[in-house]
Amino acid sequence: MEEEKHMLLGGKYEKGKLIGTGTFAKVYHGREVSTGESVAIKVINKDQVRDQGMVEQIQTEISATRLVRHPNIVELREVFATKSKIYYVMEYVSGGELFAKVSGGGRLKEDVARKYFQQLISAVDFCHSRGVSHRDIKPENLLLNGNDDLKITDFGFSALPEQKRYDGLLHTQCGTPAYVAPEVLRKKGYDGAKADIWSCGVVLYVLLAGFLPFHDENLMNLYRKIFKAEYEFPPWFSPETRKLISKLLMADPERRISIEGINRVPWYRRGISRNSSFRSKRERVSSPDPTPGLKKSISSPSFFNAFELISSMSSGFDLSTLFESKEKKKVASMFTSKFSAAAIVERIEAAARGMRFIVETEDDFKVRIDGTEEGRKGPLAVTAEVFEMAAEMTVVEFTKDSGDTLEYERFCEEGIRPALKDIVWTWQGDVGSSNGAGEVTVNSG
Amino acid sequence: MPVSIKECCCFLKKIGNPRRIIHFALLASETSFSINEIEALHDLFERLSHAIIEDGLIHKSSGLRFSATAARTICWQILFDIFDIKKNGVIEFDEFVRSLSIFHPDAPESDKIEFMFRLYDLKHNGFIERDEMVLALLSEMNVDLSNDEVEAILDKTILDADLNGDGKIDLEEWKAFIPKYPSLLNNMTLPLLR
Repeated sequence: MEEEKHMLLGGKYEKGKLIGTGTFAKVYHGREVSTGESVAIKVINKDQVRDQGMVEQIQTEISATRLVRHPNIVELREVFATKSKIYYVMEYVSGGELFAKVSGGGRLKEDVARKYFQQLISAVDFCHSRGVSHRDIKPENLLLNGNDDLKITDFGFSALPEQKRYDGLLHTQCGTPAYVAPEVLRKKGYDGAKADIWSCGVVLYVLLAGFLPFHDENLMNLYRKIFKAEYEFPPWFSPETRKLISKLLMADPERRISIEGINRVPWYRRGISRNSSFRSKRERVSSPDPTPGLKKSISSPSFFNAFELISSMSSGFDLSTLFESKEKKKVASMFTSKFSAAAIVERIEAAARGMRFIVETEDDFKVRIDGTEEGRKGPLAVTAEVFEMAAEMTVVEFTKDSGDTLEYERFCEEGIRPALKDIVWTWQGDVGSSNGAGEVTVNSG
Repeated sequence: MPVSIKECCCFLKKIGNPRRIIHFALLASETSFSINEIEALHDLFERLSHAIIEDGLIHKSSGLRFSATAARTICWQILFDIFDIKKNGVIEFDEFVRSLSIFHPDAPESDKIEFMFRLYDLKHNGFIERDEMVLALLSEMNVDLSNDEVEAILDKTILDADLNGDGKIDLEEWKAFIPKYPSLLNNMTLPLLR
């Protein structure tokens, strides 16, 4: 009994068969015994990461991976260690490597390749927006799940020292640095985000062609080809894909296309799949009223009760202030106004339309604002609600229903706030609007 | 019990402090936190507890750095009294972790509702009373509201929550009241704790 319990990794996981081997790590299939759920367990020998700097970097990367939860990124569930080994427990992705689809000279139809490329860019963009670059996008790191959706893996290793990494890369099965951007090979300081875009370009090329854009038996020649971005298009590449790939595989990182640029390319935008996991919970409450004009019976906004007032008007009980670093400013999402509820609703609608959002009035005092553009986590969806606080004093609260937080903050800061400037009495929860610490009385227990 | 990477690093650096690790493991087993999270909370605790007096405890005065307004000072004092489980005037690391545990995203909602009740039960007598609320409200405000307006808001709120008509809110009434206004629980969950 005792013995058996001992065999479980972290007291929870049963280790199964070996599913992959890398330079530093072995990956095993695993099962969480209590739930029966499949996981992938990556095991690293500590001897190989003995150097203290490297251990610290692994730690940094673990926190980076925790930052990036996205449907196209393999989720890191847990990390633990024993005396000699480090274990990463990750989401198990069952569909194998993406590149199995093009191995042996096979290639993908443009539509299929585009779908994977869209998912790849969506994940990479998401990471970049969180300040994380992968820096090692290559076939082994692109997997497919049971629904044929792409999953990027191995964020945990992106910051391992380059020397060792690229040495490692040279010994992987493809045996070439074929996916690595020229500036990375030069080992100069480089921008990880731009290097990722190059690698995405190579991936797109491979999916459409069935072979690598840069290949040569001789390593020196291969390097030269990459430095000069010297490659040829197979005859079946459409003019549109040629154009896009030539922008992605631009040797000069400064001139290489950005993610915003990619997002504007019509070929890329075509049939862009909406990430279903980002759909808002709003769907459930949506009851579009076909005749909103007839529903004018509600005459006053909901009442804002005393506790709502206390908890929203002051951040006193909001302990998150304990954890925040000073430079991080929280976006105020509530303001008070002396204008009438109807006037405020009208102004919010106009402001949102001005920003090209779709506006829908749920009732007289609740406005739904929907983005028309696909954001990092699906389109942005915001609700604005007007409450009555007292006679001639209303409170307006904005809530994000779905979409990316950073995009929402920009929506508030750069869109809503300036547009409503003249009707706002005060924005609540603004950092820096406090009256200074001078009046505080010290009352030490 | 698996040991976190961070702890392993500590081990590598200075062959750790086994007593501390056992202490953390114990806390982890009794709260919603993992050992890694408790380690992180310990860093935060050290920062807070070293703010003024360096004795490894949080004193009431330690909260000053984040109570920039009079209203927030009052909130801090209320929180302090609740966090100080042993009522000895200081917050120890154990008390800190146990109280914050209620703010964990995985902590049961019923615990959050009860904790919140205690925030407003200023006299610790099992009721949220109207005059306590007036006090709290008035001191919180940085909005221009007349006394009459504050009174009106309070009347309406009590009317809404006070089911048995005794003019104050007891825990049972509170439990029925909160689900009607779920946004009130927002501050009771700190996503950062995960």
